[in-house]
Amino acid sequence: MTAAGLPATASSRPAGWWGMALFITTEATLFGAIFSTYVYLWLRSPRWPPQGIAPTKPFYPLLLTALLVATSVPVHGAFRSARAGAAGRAVALLLLAVAVQCSYLAGQFVLFAHDLDRMPPDRSAYASTYFTMLGTHHAHVVAGIALELWFALRLTRGVNRYRLVGLHATTLYWDFVIVAGLILVALQLAPR
Amino acid sequence: MTAVDLPVGPQRVERLERIWTPRPGVLGWLTTTDHKRIGLLYLFATLMFFAAGGVEALTMRTQLAQANEKLVGPGTFDELLTMHGITMIFLFIIPITTGAFGNYLVPLMIGARDMAFPRMNALSFWLFLASGCFLYAGFALGAAPNAGWFDYVPLALKQYDPGSNIDFYALGLILNGASSTAAAINFIATIFKLRAPGMSLNRMPLFCYAVLAVAFALLLALPALTLDCIFLELQRRLGFHFFDVAGGGDPLLWQYLFWIFGHPEVYIIVLPAFGIATSIIPTFARRRMVAFPLVAMAELLVAFIGFGVFAHHMFATGLATITLVFFAAASMLVVIPSTIQVYAWLLTVATGAPRFRAPLLFIGGFVVFFVLGGLTGIMFTAIPFDQALTDTYFVVAHFHFIIFGAAVFPILGGLYYWFPKVTGRLYHERLAIVSFWVTFVGTTLTFFPMHIVGLLGMTRRVYTYEPGLGWDAYNLAETIGGFTLAAGLLLILGNLVWSRFNGEPCGPDPFHGGTLEWTVPSPPPHYNFAVIPTVRSPYPNWDRTDAGYDLERGGLVLDAGHETPSTEVRDARLEEILSMPSESPWPIVLAACVVLAFVMLLAGHVLITAVFGVLGALTLGAWHLHEPEET
Repeated sequence: MTAAGLPATASSRPAGWWGMALFITTEATLFGAIFSTYVYLWLRSPRWPPQGIAPTKPFYPLLLTALLVATSVPVHGAFRSARAGAAGRAVALLLLAVAVQCSYLAGQFVLFAHDLDRMPPDRSAYASTYFTMLGTHHAHVVAGIALELWFALRLTRGVNRYRLVGLHATTLYWDFVIVAGLILVALQLAPR
Repeated sequence: MTAVDLPVGPQRVERLERIWTPRPGVLGWLTTTDHKRIGLLYLFATLMFFAAGGVEALTMRTQLAQANEKLVGPGTFDELLTMHGITMIFLFIIPITTGAFGNYLVPLMIGARDMAFPRMNALSFWLFLASGCFLYAGFALGAAPNAGWFDYVPLALKQYDPGSNIDFYALGLILNGASSTAAAINFIATIFKLRAPGMSLNRMPLFCYAVLAVAFALLLALPALTLDCIFLELQRRLGFHFFDVAGGGDPLLWQYLFWIFGHPEVYIIVLPAFGIATSIIPTFARRRMVAFPLVAMAELLVAFIGFGVFAHHMFATGLATITLVFFAAASMLVVIPSTIQVYAWLLTVATGAPRFRAPLLFIGGFVVFFVLGGLTGIMFTAIPFDQALTDTYFVVAHFHFIIFGAAVFPILGGLYYWFPKVTGRLYHERLAIVSFWVTFVGTTLTFFPMHIVGLLGMTRRVYTYEPGLGWDAYNLAETIGGFTLAAGLLLILGNLVWSRFNGEPCGPDPFHGGTLEWTVPSPPPHYNFAVIPTVRSPYPNWDRTDAGYDLERGGLVLDAGHETPSTEVRDARLEEILSMPSESPWPIVLAACVVLAFVMLLAGHVLITAVFGVLGALTLGAWHLHEPEET
């Protein structure tokens, strides 16, 4: 029954969830286009990376990606806690996720700066697509952190339906960022 | 609290009035989240841009009226042709069909009181308006985009186009794309979740199917354009390499990404026209649409196939033959869903009892131009034919038959058709019929001779030509046609403006239409439906008595706040009552922050760009601090 006293079926996905799912659809297309560009230029080049640029070393990118994937746990946990009405626990889990994500980003920035020194993007198409790809993903991580911080802040005032739908959408977004990150690291390390 | 099965008492209507009445004055319009007001804002803004694009076209036609004309120079001509293309596509057709028609009509047709995300809807409009002003600011500063609407590299690279013309193009279209993306998400969520109880997918109006198809096409096509523009800016501003062979890039990359967007774009332009046709035809043929489910499927299929044909714009670029053949075959495939629709339209009229009033005449014109433009389209799938005629006026003739004849004619017919709904007054019928014939003759006279000059070898985008090539008479005829067409459009505008004040009052349903928008008063009240209808047929306004459908009883009043019901996606079973946000100042503030950030980016002030970015983020926070009340 709804509040208005009308018979209603069990709630399926709310409009807010659909909004995020559709946003992710278009974002996924954007990432698809970037990844395709990278592969397209790779296939058209005699050497990828070009002469004089060493392939990216796998250890740190893989380590950081593992960290990124791990943050899925507290994010989903936060949503489950909020749904169960445990606002405090949800806030704590969100803050934990944000802390790990921030260290992930810090590590990525160190690598980014190091790579910039090693192969400036205005020298080759390889470096251009490499940095555009990474930069786009980092921007999405920043957006995800902003969303989580926002809901951590709002949930300190308790759980309501609006915030719950928002947090649900955030978990969906974060799953997308992780999947994009996995493809990214594969493409980053694939050319040898 | 509301309850079921109560007659609509006048005090309930009064309460709805009080809840939904907007702020008075200009402030009410600036902060509005009412889909009808946003639709009207879109309408007025897009008509202004249409006028600008039309003036550009007439200037070009005057320049080409005779050989060696000196009205404008080559540089200005390049800006004119580029801005004409951008304006008509990004600032007129897409926003008027989705933004104006879609916004105004979709909630009314599906029995909702607003869009799923009303504030994001306002944001879409303000971002759209900002992107238009941004692009035209380039014109005012003498740096309008000038490399053609598809902006091919290497011409558009810094070396060959050093001014900020192309930067206006790239940044303006990114902004425009953001607006369209937000609108597309909103339409899909609205159509999925806010349909009135009982409006299962098989009962949804065909116009909504067209909007749904367009929205999905926008979501999946726009990122390619946005990314292309980002690459272009990175290359122009920071010296990245995407499009130059010397740096390991590839100029064809621009074309691939552009047309992956650009061909679905063609269907994005023409699908709403199909939707308008499938609304007008049943009303005036006085029968249901023939093959309703097939037409719905065909609309979705056109959008889908539209993604598999993009390389037919690149037949002359030296792609491998196997690629060409694949894309030629895929392009021929589009004929199938298109023909299904053409036959369905014609058979509906043929088997109905048609009244040939102005809106139906415009649809007749649309079918003629769509078939003719479609036939020349099929000719292009013959690869050698395409390679011979690429970049000639034959192409211009083909796509203007489609874009003007097939996309704009239904828009004009739709303006007449829904004018009584929006204003509560009838347009002047006889003048409307005259305006149709003037427009029809003007369109034919403008664009038909272009086929011939194209075959005679006249290339696109030339700013002038020598006499004695056999082109003169055709070009003069085209120019005369262009001005006739403009006269027809002015007649339409004059008719609508005059009728707005002097037309006969028309009541809720002057044409006896079948869909839900004709069940509410004209103009519709702010809350759209005093009682949310329960739907049992694709033409609920016709089947009221047959199916025991009654607006006065057996529905939802929902007068406890800004409320609208939310239903399940497929079968539209009632799920919950949503409390909708109302007027908000934040969408327009956020749009202002975003456009100022873009202006600063264009001017090269990265730090100030960041400041506006932060302000935008803070605005988003303020926006979401206001939560709908718990019910």
